[in-house]
Formats: sequence, C-alpha cells, structure tokens
Amino acid sequence: MADRNDTRASTDLQQLVLAPAHGWENQRRREFMYGLWPALIVLVVVTLLPTIYLFVTSLTPLNPTLPGSETDFSDPLQNYVALIQDGRVQESVWIQVQLSFWTVGFQLLAGLAVAVLLNSRSRFLEAVRTMFLIPMVLPPIVVAIIWKVLYTPDISPFHLFLNAIGHPMGAMITSPDYALWSIIIADVWEWFPFTMLMLLAALQMLPEEPLEAALIDGAGAWQKFMYVVLPLLRPAILVAGLFRLIDSMKAFPLIYILTQGGPGSVTNVTNWYSFMQAFNFSYLGFASAITVVMVLATFLLAWLIIRTVGMEVDVE
Amino acid sequence: MSSSAVAKQSSKARRRAWTRPLGYAAVILLIIVVMFPFLWLLIMSFKPDELIAAWPPVLFFQPTLEHYAALFGGQYQRSFTNSTIVGVTTTVLSLLFGVPASYTLSRSRIRGQGPIALWILATRMAPPIAFTIPFFLVYQRLDWLDTLHGLVIVYLTFNLSLVIWMMRTFFDSIPRVLEEAALIDGASVWGTFLRVILPLSAPGLAATAIFTFLFSWNDFFYALILTRTKSMTAPVAVVNFMTYEGWEWGNIAAGGTMVMLPVVIFSLLVRNYLVRGLTAGAVKG
Repeated sequence: MADRNDTRASTDLQQLVLAPAHGWENQRRREFMYGLWPALIVLVVVTLLPTIYLFVTSLTPLNPTLPGSETDFSDPLQNYVALIQDGRVQESVWIQVQLSFWTVGFQLLAGLAVAVLLNSRSRFLEAVRTMFLIPMVLPPIVVAIIWKVLYTPDISPFHLFLNAIGHPMGAMITSPDYALWSIIIADVWEWFPFTMLMLLAALQMLPEEPLEAALIDGAGAWQKFMYVVLPLLRPAILVAGLFRLIDSMKAFPLIYILTQGGPGSVTNVTNWYSFMQAFNFSYLGFASAITVVMVLATFLLAWLIIRTVGMEVDVE
Repeated sequence: MSSSAVAKQSSKARRRAWTRPLGYAAVILLIIVVMFPFLWLLIMSFKPDELIAAWPPVLFFQPTLEHYAALFGGQYQRSFTNSTIVGVTTTVLSLLFGVPASYTLSRSRIRGQGPIALWILATRMAPPIAFTIPFFLVYQRLDWLDTLHGLVIVYLTFNLSLVIWMMRTFFDSIPRVLEEAALIDGASVWGTFLRVILPLSAPGLAATAIFTFLFSWNDFFYALILTRTKSMTAPVAVVNFMTYEGWEWGNIAAGGTMVMLPVVIFSLLVRNYLVRGLTAGAVKG
C-alpha cells in the first residue's frame, strides 16, 4: 500500500518537473510492454491453446484407433453424459475426497505440531529445521521408491522387524483395506514439511500484544495456544490447507509406483482414472472430459485462495 | 512485585528449565523418525546384496559401490544427460521470457493484471494431465514425441509461470526510487533494468533458476508419457529399471540416490525460498 502511494507521489513530481509528461508516460508504458509481450505469447501458446484444445477434444469421442473420431462433433456432450453415468468416476471422486481429507488433515496437524515445537529462538532448533525439509525436497519419484522399499515385505525393515518378533503382517499396498492408507502415510510424510514451513513462518510473525495480554490475564500455555495463537494462525492454516488440497489431486508418482490404482480400484483416484483412460485404453476424448472437470475444480480452488487471502500472502 | 507473583515467576522459570530439554528430546526423536525412510534408501545403496534383507540390520559393513557401477554406461547414464540438458534449457528459456515480464507486472500498472495473475497461478496448479493430453496429440502429429525440445516446451507450461510469479515478489521488494532516479536522467526502462535492478535481484534470480531446474529435473508425469527411449529422463529411467531389470533393490536404491542427490543439495541452498517456490510466489515465506 505504502508502495503504491510512493509511486503516485513520484509521478506527481515528474509531472511537475517534466511539463509534457504525458508522451513520456506513454512511451514508458510502451517500453514496459515489450517485456511482457513475449512471455504472454509463449504462455498463450503453451497453456491457453492446449487448454482450449483439451476442451475441444472433450467434445469428441477421440480414440487414436478409430479414424475420424477426432473431428466427430455429432454428439458433443456424450463424454460428459458418460462421465455422470460412469460409476467408476463417482467412485474415484469419493476416493480422492478421502485421500485429500486425510492427507491434508494430518499434514496440517503434524505441520502445526512440529512448527510449535520448533518455534523458539534457539540455535539448535534453527540448525535442525533444515532436516525436516528433506522429505519435501526429494524428487517425488524417489519418495515413491523409498516407500516401495518400506512396503515390500521381503526387504522392508518394518516387515523384517515384525517377522523377528513373531507378528508377521501382510503387505499394505496389496491389501484392499490398507492400500489407501499406505498412500496417505507416504503422502503425509512427504508434504507435512510444507505446512510446517508455512505455519512456522506465520508463528514467527504473530503480534506480541495479544500474547502478552493473555499472559497477564493468567492464561496457561494450553489456553494461550487454543484461544490466542490458533485463531491468529487461521489464515495461514487455511492457505496451507488449500495449497495442499490442490496438490493432493496430483499425487501421481506414489500411486504409479505403489498401487497402480489397485488392488481392485481402492486407490483409483480421479487423476489416475483419467490417466488410465487416456494412455492405457486410448479413450482420449473421455479422459479429456474428466480432466476438464478437474481443471475447473482447480480453478475454483485457486480462485478461493485469491479471494480469501488476496494475490499475495505475506508470512514473512 | 508481590511475593506470590515472584513465586509464580520462579515456578515458571523452573518449568522452563525442564520443558526445554524435553522439547529438544522430542525434536531429536522426530528427526530420527522423519529421516529414517530417506536414510534407509541411502544406506541401502551402499549395502552388498546379501545384507539388504538381513535382520537385525547390519550397521557396520564394508560399503560397496557395485550398485553404482552397475548403472554406468548405456541407457541410465544417458538419461542423466537428458535430464541435465532439458533442465538447463528450460531454466534459461523461462528466465529469458519470464524475468522481463515479471518486472513489467511489478512496475507498471496494466489493465487485466488480475485475470493474467489468476491465469498464471491456475496454470501452475492445474493437474499435469490437463496439458499432457493436448501436447501428446499435437506431438504425435508433429513427430515430436520422445524429443528433448518437446519436453523443454512442455516444462515451460509450469516454469514460465513460476518465474513470472516468483521474480515479481523479489522485484516488488526493491524500492522504486532507485530506478526513478535513472529514469529521470533519461535512461531507458530496460537499460535501467539491466544496470540497476537485475544486479540487485541476483539472489532472487539464483533461487528462481534453481527452482525451475529442480521442477524439470523432478518431473515424472510428462516425461513418462511424452518420452520413450532416446529422450528418457532420469526419473523415468529409474522406474524402467525397476520394471525391466526385476527387483534389483541395491541398484534401484543407487539409482534413486543419484536422482535425489543433486536435488537435495540444491534445495537446501534455497531453503529460505521453499514456500515461495512451491506456491508459485503466491505466498512469501
């Protein structure tokens, strides 16, 4: 805000100093636009055109094995009708909802807990903070490989340990009851550092006054946390949760390496279903329709982020 | 100060005296739990085959490089070259197009900035499959599947928006007075940008460059679908290795370690900007 006032003040000044400022302003604006145009053109070509093309293919029964299917607009809504009627799509949305709910929920809880634990000025804690970031910065495919090792009974230290104490357990990733949980655990491990980092930053810039007021009023540590800290953290928790929610719809490498959507369809989330329809069964038109719906959902969430917190959240 | 208040203070101090070591112990325990999966893979890559499934785990052993040696030559080595070429090219192109655009968005108020911003954020967040299907269809026709330039263009979809958005937060934090002076002296917008602003934003530029490189290095989804053999990148090569060579766990661990090592080192260099990078600059932190 202050920034904007500054500019206004300085342009006023320029108008005073340079009498024919109008042409000069225009020229400056034109000069600025030279910097923007190339990027906008590239963005239109690599993101806007593909999105339009995706929408167009979603109106056709496109299948590379059927010649002419890509220009067949005779029944443009067929994929969308099929999508509503396809029980597997509904099931996949429900699985996605469960996956997102548990992963985002646990990431927020774990992230908050660790952030509170790390939130004090101490050289030791600042030094170890970096270690907590490692799961998040690993390439997602390596995270998937790590968990594949941990979930494979032959070599997993957990399974070997359980065998040694006489309580062998079947593999989680091939069990209909636990496969989704195996993904949830791995995903929570991978991404709780992200919520931790955001909440830690928010904790470190909490205003002093309410905390001191609570202390003077004799609030205990728990009361202070519940009634002062938590309400103040609400915006940061919301933003962190929304970002994780959007990303939770893209958890591809874990599913690809660990469960392939199975066993049966217990980990068949919408993203995976769309991928299989497109690149395993060649139903590209149908997969495009599913993806269009996913893109709309993403847009809605991105818009929610911007609406709740403005274009930029400052947690520094 | 009344005596009861003093007593309260000293009891608080006493409590702090034991909560602090307790907190540290909890933190250390947590670090062990969090680091364990990562360290297990790292150690496994140096274990001789016969010790990989040993229980209780052998902590002291003669580390072997045989798994790494098995990866050299052929497909796997080439995939690393591919990943590097694609990563560097995407980074250079994203910065070339993105940095000036970002400066314009930071400094000049343009109509339609809101929708442009929303679009950029949304493309950064869209599921990769949204771009994969159209790019796959177009590349099929252009015969660009399994080419490095095809992959570079796809990576621009997320990296260009990342650069624009992230650099903007850095440009916004540079006071305008600096360039106003140069502009009043009659310097051109972009001359001033090159001489005054760019040197000042060097740390931000470096962080952004590292992020764009990491995001293309880490990508699995696009590379899985848009490459076959000759342009395969390292993450896909590791997975292929798993499927075709059978479950050679030692080699898989070595492959995974080689993919993650540059990433871990680079990421820790930019750890202060991680939130900015992962939220496409929508959140500073």
